[in-house]
Amino acid sequence: MSQQPRLTRKNRQRLELSTAWGVAIIAIGLTLFPLYWLFVISTKKPVDAFKTPPDLIYIPDFSKYVEIWQQGSFAAAFFNSVIVVGLGVVLAIVIAAPAAYAIVRFRVRAGRWLALWLLLAYALPEFLFVIPMYVLYQQIGLFDTQIGLALIYQVFAVPFAIWLIQAFFSEVPRDLGDAARVDGCTELQSLVRVYLPLAAPGIAATAVLVGIVMWNEVTIALSLTFDESRTVTIAVASYRGYAAMRWQEMAAASVTAIIPMLIFALVAQRYLVKGLTFGAVK
Amino acid sequence: MTHDPGGTRTDRGTRFLIPLLVILGLTSLYPTFYSLYMSVFDWNWGQRFNFVGLENYLELLSSERFQISLWNTFVFTIGAVAVELILGLSLALVVNRLSRGAAVVRTLLLVPLMVSGIIVALIWKVILDPTIGPVNLVLRQIGLPPLGFLGDPAMGMASIILIDTWWQTAFVFIVFSAGLQALPREPLEAAEVDGAGFFARLRYVILPMLKPIILVILLFRTIDCMKVFAIIFGTTGGGPLTTTESVQVLAYRVAFKQQGMSLSMTAMVIFAAVVLVLVMAIRRAGRSENPVG
Repeated sequence: MSQQPRLTRKNRQRLELSTAWGVAIIAIGLTLFPLYWLFVISTKKPVDAFKTPPDLIYIPDFSKYVEIWQQGSFAAAFFNSVIVVGLGVVLAIVIAAPAAYAIVRFRVRAGRWLALWLLLAYALPEFLFVIPMYVLYQQIGLFDTQIGLALIYQVFAVPFAIWLIQAFFSEVPRDLGDAARVDGCTELQSLVRVYLPLAAPGIAATAVLVGIVMWNEVTIALSLTFDESRTVTIAVASYRGYAAMRWQEMAAASVTAIIPMLIFALVAQRYLVKGLTFGAVK
Repeated sequence: MTHDPGGTRTDRGTRFLIPLLVILGLTSLYPTFYSLYMSVFDWNWGQRFNFVGLENYLELLSSERFQISLWNTFVFTIGAVAVELILGLSLALVVNRLSRGAAVVRTLLLVPLMVSGIIVALIWKVILDPTIGPVNLVLRQIGLPPLGFLGDPAMGMASIILIDTWWQTAFVFIVFSAGLQALPREPLEAAEVDGAGFFARLRYVILPMLKPIILVILLFRTIDCMKVFAIIFGTTGGGPLTTTESVQVLAYRVAFKQQGMSLSMTAMVIFAAVVLVLVMAIRRAGRSENPVG
């Protein structure tokens, strides 16, 4: 008799575990199916792409990928995005790192107001600043430029970067910074020689996450670029023609835009959780 | 914070904040004040530039279309945040049960967060298409009538919420997962020893301990949902009729399709005020528990 409860308990645990796996697998299926479908559309022959019922087994044809790169305008948009993200990320880190250092190491006067400002700047609906910036950029020649876009992206990138870097800096032992000061380092040297090297993986992860957000940005890029510095997301959207949707080109362009982000996310995987939780959870 | 030998260190700190203040001023303060200023004129991207006082505000607040867009934005936000919170928490609890393989499951579930909103929109436009979409294909196969989804005025908003759920539940899931993993073991074990069932433990132990995290999720999901643009722009464009037109979609149309510069800036001033009040309210609810801000 004494064995029976233990057995049922074991069985119950086994049942629980297999139910959990069942739910997890369904969730993964529902998560990945739309992306799989996107890939399928991009690699089928035009006549087969929307055949009903669809062929489940087919030989992938990558000619649409070659086509979109040869058209030139997609390649141009892709490299525009690379430049905008590069500029934008460097700017964000250069601005956010000293600010995060000041917030972590000193009692900043009006620090609470600064924290509130960061949150509100991050919360601003895009068109509140996009429409005035459209007018300003038209006047000073920054409309449809990579630098103009990288500049306005700071409104969300800098708060995001500060929250993350702040979390990474606060893990650096205070004594190390104090010791550097005692040894005659200026605050700037303490930041550059102590804090930045110790938090380097965190800074890199911050750069990756800020970069992913910028790469995927739509609302601002749609309004502040036209042709010259059109980004990759806008190029994807442009396959919606006047007459019909060019689904296959759109799908190939989408897959091309997603893959670099997946690679970056994998590289920064260890820090992804901290990044996605805005540094709020360790 | 404890050892701050004098006022001088505070001043040194200010120096490190100058680039931040400059960039935040340019990208947030300048446009806000410019919009406030322009909202009392009738500028249409042309020669006309007359002072009209509060006329734009009165026109918008009495405009049915603006009211509808505000209503749509609220419906979307409440719907999407509620569904994502429940789904994200449930998934986090389930995946937390898996001992081996949980890390792989988490990574796979995070993938949608790496996809741009416009691409998400276009993917789901295909998936939900009445003729070529796989969902309706399956419905027809099992003998059910096809559904209109994004093209049906009665289903448009629900479809947009569905799309956002696919896209952003992963964020809620991963924050809850991290929160669950960081929970102290003892209170949970104590509750289990006391014979508390799963739902009792969830209600009286897990959720109270997760409160700060729930507020972070609520804050960032609400901000994001209120700003919704790309997934609507890329699917319905606000239609059918105006059933999915959010405030940002309306602002885009008024500013860039109708050159109503003053009017669109006024709309955004009103809307930004609404969003900021919401943010402050959620932040107040989580004061001293919320590590962000």
